[in-house]
Amino acid sequence: MRILSPRRAVAAGAVTLIALGTTAAFTSAPAYARANAQVTVVHGIPGQPVDVYVNGKKTLPGFQPGKVAGPLSLPAGSYDIALTKPGDAIGNALLKVDDAEVPGDRNISLVAHLTADGKPALTPFVNDTARLPAGQARLIVRHAAAAPAVDVRAGGKPVFSGVTNGKEGKADLDAGTVSADVVLAGTQTRVLGPADLDLKEGTATVVYAVGSAEDKTLDLVTQSITGLHSAPGGVPSGDGGRADRGMSLPWYGVGAAGLLLFLLGLARQRPRRR
Amino acid sequence: MRVGRALPLIVAGVVLVVATLVVATRSRPAADFAVPAPASAPSTSTSTPIPAPTVSRETAPVRLRIAALDLNATVDAVGVDPRTGDFAVPPSVDRVGWYKFGPGFAATAGSIVIAGHVDSAAQGEGAFFGLGELRPGDVVTLTGPGGGRERVFEVTARQRYRKTAIPLDRYFARDGEVRLTLITCGGPFDAETRHYRDNVVVTAVPA
Repeated sequence: MRILSPRRAVAAGAVTLIALGTTAAFTSAPAYARANAQVTVVHGIPGQPVDVYVNGKKTLPGFQPGKVAGPLSLPAGSYDIALTKPGDAIGNALLKVDDAEVPGDRNISLVAHLTADGKPALTPFVNDTARLPAGQARLIVRHAAAAPAVDVRAGGKPVFSGVTNGKEGKADLDAGTVSADVVLAGTQTRVLGPADLDLKEGTATVVYAVGSAEDKTLDLVTQSITGLHSAPGGVPSGDGGRADRGMSLPWYGVGAAGLLLFLLGLARQRPRRR
Repeated sequence: MRVGRALPLIVAGVVLVVATLVVATRSRPAADFAVPAPASAPSTSTSTPIPAPTVSRETAPVRLRIAALDLNATVDAVGVDPRTGDFAVPPSVDRVGWYKFGPGFAATAGSIVIAGHVDSAAQGEGAFFGLGELRPGDVVTLTGPGGGRERVFEVTARQRYRKTAIPLDRYFARDGEVRLTLITCGGPFDAETRHYRDNVVVTAVPA
């Protein structure tokens, strides 16, 4: 099993995590304290449950393939992350990354997966948690499988083309259920699906293609990020004008006429007093 | 003779002035009230994600009754108008619309939102024509899916906002204390654009 080659695994993981370190370098440095990062851990390596250690502390024991855990709320900083076989000592880690930079105030998915050529790796993705317009849902598809470039189709139409390992496609769509499948890029050769995805309003649905095409272990893992909803733009609920109880112009006329009549009456009375 | 001729004029004048004053008084909208203060605004910076409200047909209320307004209206599940991004209030003015993306009949948190027409040019007075007349303690009854269960709410607040200033995020919040929010139009009507200037919002909490 590929995963049992710790040295190669460590190398692959370290290389992949440079990406996160780079992101941090560009985005760090505000003087004020930043909120914690929300880190979700995704297990996309078939066949091997693991214990996840963060800074030497066992954080996710017996983490099963295909599962999503978290989010962990982590202060910004650098972290040592290790994956071991359940119960193994941290020294015998299957996959180990030291000094991974976690930027503050971000929503991150840390994905244990296979690279395109089948080596285990830990790849961080920064999740887009921007507010969605009312009625919409966000679909994010990530290629985290030992497989070539793919196209992702929804309702038979390609929505993301030529997605390669470690990359993602992203779109904001009307909320609802879509039937999605994955084909080899530029072909009709289906490698995954079709699967019904319930794209809930105000929610980001993150779909990971994981496993290995060669070993026929390709599968989908799904993560949801809720709370991205917005209120509708407004509540237009009347165009008749009957409920406008403001005084209309005719009534001002009536008042003025009344006042005139009243004064006229007084004026006519006046000569009698003389 | 002069008194006889002047008196009808004075009387008529007084009658008209009094009538005008009566209309002027009646046309002033009732003052807003809120008892107790509406549920706290949601914090957008919570570090833990808001739990996903399960929105399905199972949670759709089917009927809204307000005895004080002699109202018994069918509730449609609606979303947003794809052209405008606005609340898709049912076109039929005797129906009201429940915002299907937010908390539903069985909600344990957040704002269940129902909006209805105050009126329409073509159909006349709408289901929510009298919404602005509701008083604190008035009872609002919501019937659940299938028509079996009911939830009873009591009016605690009625507020009027310019449409440009209404805190919609608060009224469409999916967290905080569970409450029922009823929305319609009100205030001065612009005959040119055929829009009301304001929204009238009634908040009711479980009785």
